[in-house]
Amino acid sequence: MPFFKSLFARLFLCVLAAPALLGQSATPGATDPVLLKTMQQELDRAMSSLSKADPAPYFISYSVSEEFGTVIMGSSGALVANIKRHDRNADISVRVGNRDLDNTHGENRFNAITSASLPLDDKPDAIARVLWLNTDRMYKKATQGYLEVKTDTKVRAEEEDSSPDFSVEKPQTAIAKDTAAPKFNRQEWEDRVRRYSSIFSKYPDIENSMVVLLVQDSTRYFVSSEGARLVDSKPLIRVLALGNARSADGMELARSETFDASSFDKLESEQVITAKIEKIAQDLQKLKKAPVVEPFNGPALLSGRAAAVFFHEVVGHRLEGQRQRGENEGQTFTKMVGQPVLPKFLSVEDDPTLPSLDGVELSGNYNYDEEGEKAQRVDLIDKGILKQFLMSRMPVKGFMQSNGHGRAQSGLMPVGRQGNLIVRSSKSVPDAQLRQELINEIKKQKKPFGLYFEDIAGGFTLTMRNMPQAFQVKPLMVWKIYPDGRPDELVRGVDIIGTPLNALNRILLTGQKTEVFNGECGAESGSVPVAAAAPAMLFSEIEVQKVSQGHERPPVLPPPGVENSNVATQQQNANPGGR
Amino acid sequence: MRRFTSFALILLAVSVPTFADDNAAPAPTSISMNDHGDPVLKAMIAELKRSQEKLQLGQLQRPYYIDYQVTELQDYTADATLGALRTDQANIGRLVRVVVRIGDYKQDSYFGEGMGAVEVMPTDNQELALRRQLWLATDKAYKSALTGFTEKQAALKNVETETDLADFAQEKPAQSLSEPTKLGADLDKWKQALRSTSNLFRNDPALESSNAYMNFRVLNRYFVNTEGTVTRSGRSVYTYLFSGAAQADDGMWIERSHGWVVTRPEELPKADEIQSEAKKLISTFSALKKAPLVEDQYRGPVLFSADAATSLFERLIVPNILGIRPDLGNPARTNGEFASYYKNRVLPEDFTVVDDPKAKEIDHQALAGNYEVDDEGVEAQTVTVIDKGVLANYLLGRTPIRDFPHSNGHGRTALAGSPRPQISNLIFKVANGVPFEELKKKLIQMCKDQGRPYGYYVETTGPQLSPRLLWRVYVNDGHMELVRGAVFKQLDTRALRSDIVAAGNDNYVYNRAEPLPSAIVAPSLLFGELEIQRANRTREKLPTYPAPELSSVTASK
Repeated sequence: MPFFKSLFARLFLCVLAAPALLGQSATPGATDPVLLKTMQQELDRAMSSLSKADPAPYFISYSVSEEFGTVIMGSSGALVANIKRHDRNADISVRVGNRDLDNTHGENRFNAITSASLPLDDKPDAIARVLWLNTDRMYKKATQGYLEVKTDTKVRAEEEDSSPDFSVEKPQTAIAKDTAAPKFNRQEWEDRVRRYSSIFSKYPDIENSMVVLLVQDSTRYFVSSEGARLVDSKPLIRVLALGNARSADGMELARSETFDASSFDKLESEQVITAKIEKIAQDLQKLKKAPVVEPFNGPALLSGRAAAVFFHEVVGHRLEGQRQRGENEGQTFTKMVGQPVLPKFLSVEDDPTLPSLDGVELSGNYNYDEEGEKAQRVDLIDKGILKQFLMSRMPVKGFMQSNGHGRAQSGLMPVGRQGNLIVRSSKSVPDAQLRQELINEIKKQKKPFGLYFEDIAGGFTLTMRNMPQAFQVKPLMVWKIYPDGRPDELVRGVDIIGTPLNALNRILLTGQKTEVFNGECGAESGSVPVAAAAPAMLFSEIEVQKVSQGHERPPVLPPPGVENSNVATQQQNANPGGR
Repeated sequence: MRRFTSFALILLAVSVPTFADDNAAPAPTSISMNDHGDPVLKAMIAELKRSQEKLQLGQLQRPYYIDYQVTELQDYTADATLGALRTDQANIGRLVRVVVRIGDYKQDSYFGEGMGAVEVMPTDNQELALRRQLWLATDKAYKSALTGFTEKQAALKNVETETDLADFAQEKPAQSLSEPTKLGADLDKWKQALRSTSNLFRNDPALESSNAYMNFRVLNRYFVNTEGTVTRSGRSVYTYLFSGAAQADDGMWIERSHGWVVTRPEELPKADEIQSEAKKLISTFSALKKAPLVEDQYRGPVLFSADAATSLFERLIVPNILGIRPDLGNPARTNGEFASYYKNRVLPEDFTVVDDPKAKEIDHQALAGNYEVDDEGVEAQTVTVIDKGVLANYLLGRTPIRDFPHSNGHGRTALAGSPRPQISNLIFKVANGVPFEELKKKLIQMCKDQGRPYGYYVETTGPQLSPRLLWRVYVNDGHMELVRGAVFKQLDTRALRSDIVAAGNDNYVYNRAEPLPSAIVAPSLLFGELEIQRANRTREKLPTYPAPELSSVTASK
């Protein structure tokens, strides 16, 4: 059942990885959960048994992610799917060779992990047996990988970055207290998903739409031969709303909203969610009729949310440690450390230790990363100067340590990833004044209009994995702002051209209010929850053109149930025009 | 989707004059259809009628045929190992598959992209929500049909077509309504059964892995088409199985499994039956590990149990009797090995093979392939596929093949894929069958006559027909010796035609859940000559370090 499986699985899997929660203490091993104790015993046994093997592993880790998941999907006021799942996935990592050169080197890295489903019942010997069998498999894979790596390095020219393959770190120990699983009334939520999804039905131009409730209670257990011992859990509640429409010329128009929270009482209220879904539905109606953008080069204002996504995609991804080392990487920033990469008034940090910002929960919050390293606040760019990268335990030239950003979806090898990316500015004006600054800039440059980017989708605003998404910036809601007082005009099909990085140095000033965007980020180590936060930003110049995609016509017939009503009038009402 | 995009561009530019002739055709009049008070059928019929009456893009062709198939699925999967539950999943959902055909029965758009569209469907019975997904899927299917039609016209320009086959068989509309099915088994009870079954595998700590698995699936299906067919059917399949794997000292994998596939929960095995079968299976591992390797080469008489015979027929007969039309321009009748064997002998003369979707049971054993109407809305028919050894029929859906212009009710699909010919209950009957013991005697006699110390008996097989339990039957005293590491060489359709010398009067019912619910029933078989060889598979190294200790069955309870 490939179709069924993939769609449901993708929606279901749209949140994985298990960041952490507060309230833990390093208690002695005796009170450890059965699962952790079993992992520890089997790890010790593997390490000592394999010490006699040739080559002997120098590192083994077990990372088990236990998940209780519920997905309720609705469309047009009716439920479409109901999925319940409980599983324990073990990721086994075995390293042979030594820290300087091991089986994870280069392309072999993604083959350096073995996953298996563990028993859900706490039967130690049953759990141990699955760990044993898969550790043995992983060990065999590692020895083969190491042989290939050694041969490869002999044959090939010396690499530019000859950093070791694995950093030396102090092992972490922390056993979180049991956290209560998020409690919710299933039936009540089924009704709520029906209500939310029925909002889209009021808008006949919307074709596909979906509202998904995802409740996920995940706990991660981690042990390593270096002595790390962690139990960490974090519930995630997410409401995701998506809608799409097509313009008469066949352009695909999509809008989505994500609401994340760590508990039901912290989730946005029904009124707020309803209003936001209503807004994206109305956006789609407006977009459908909006004119296509014409090629333009001139001043632009990005909302805080748009700027946050822009920075996540354009700056954040390029600061991931492994991008500075891989042979197929662009290495945009590799040799820029200590040099200006942004205007002086901008600083960028990634701080996964922050649970919230200005009262808004941040989805990229965790205590320990997937390699068992403590999360750290990292100052990536300080007053425009590039300082460091997002590091996993894979060193790059000049950066030998992890800074707690080795993240992955379970089943995949961790790499340096973002957590909560925060852009701060020292050159800001009250947000109300920004529009006037934009108009001034338009006049100064003698342009007929400027652009206001209300919303940008990055890879990570689309919550599905397995999509080509890293670095993608896709403006969704863009308005033409006229200097002469004419009403703003929504345009569609906007595509930013030129190197987005160049645009960064054309930032003139920012607003004062920081906006948070919570979502899911996909890259080679899978999908992880992240947040990005930034103030609104005024750019002296952004170059745009019309996107070249999508020519499928809108549906031939009107949606069922509206053929007799006056669709045109309905559309008029939904679209008062301007803002 | 990309292909469609470019096609749509062409449409806009030239608006395809070739289709213009049909534009004058009046909207097809719709047939009155009864929804029998079913909310899903009601929504389907309403949207089907609306599409039939109004669906037309610009001046392009209207559909001449539309069908909707809604599949409602409840799927429960769990597995356990060594007494502990390991996976536990429930999936509930509905899917719709919409086929829109443009052109006519003779030549239409069911080609390439034009083979239908799939959407998720609400599980709530809300008419507008249901119709909305139908509307979206119909629109997608219609546009794909327009593309498919063009693709087909283009493809036809490049190939020679010898035959004048219609694209779509005209069939009598069917009306068939059976009650939707519900899950009839207690999930928690069966999860507990998985725990206790898998716990038994502690009896052999040398097993590297083992598990007990269940999949309970309820499938209710609704089908309507513009010819007036309205059907609703419900079926369920309960699968319960266990398996284990060990390595012999030389690294060779030894794998065994045993299972039940039934259509009613009351047919699931009782606890003591599971336990005795599991114990029996577990005991074979140590025997197999100790068993000698088969010799390099054996060519002589081989006896197949009825169980092994069903696997043999599954592999060598089933794919070849399906009337699947080959690709455009290929003049063959089907894409199977029996394409040119119509009216030719494919089995010994005393074999007659019938595919009977209407059969519910045989020897008091329920058959998994029973249905009333197939997934193209055609009434199920009993088909004599092989008559006295001669290939008399193929199993057919609504895509005709040479000499077979009509469906015989075998167009089937598991979930939301395109229906294709598939078996239902494929029953191998043999005249002059003899008791199994007779076959064994005959095997011994043949070996004796040929001066052999022993012959071979295949009790059960694994993937690719590799024998899992293979015995030497000694001619001196009839005792049996287990061997391992064998494969068959040149076990093909020719061997079935020429080398079967006798068959049993026994029957094994092999119910399968995959690729879709179906059954194969066959007797034991004696081959006069078959080749058996030592398998030359790469042998994995034994585990580098010993397995962790396992507490005994009783201790772990």
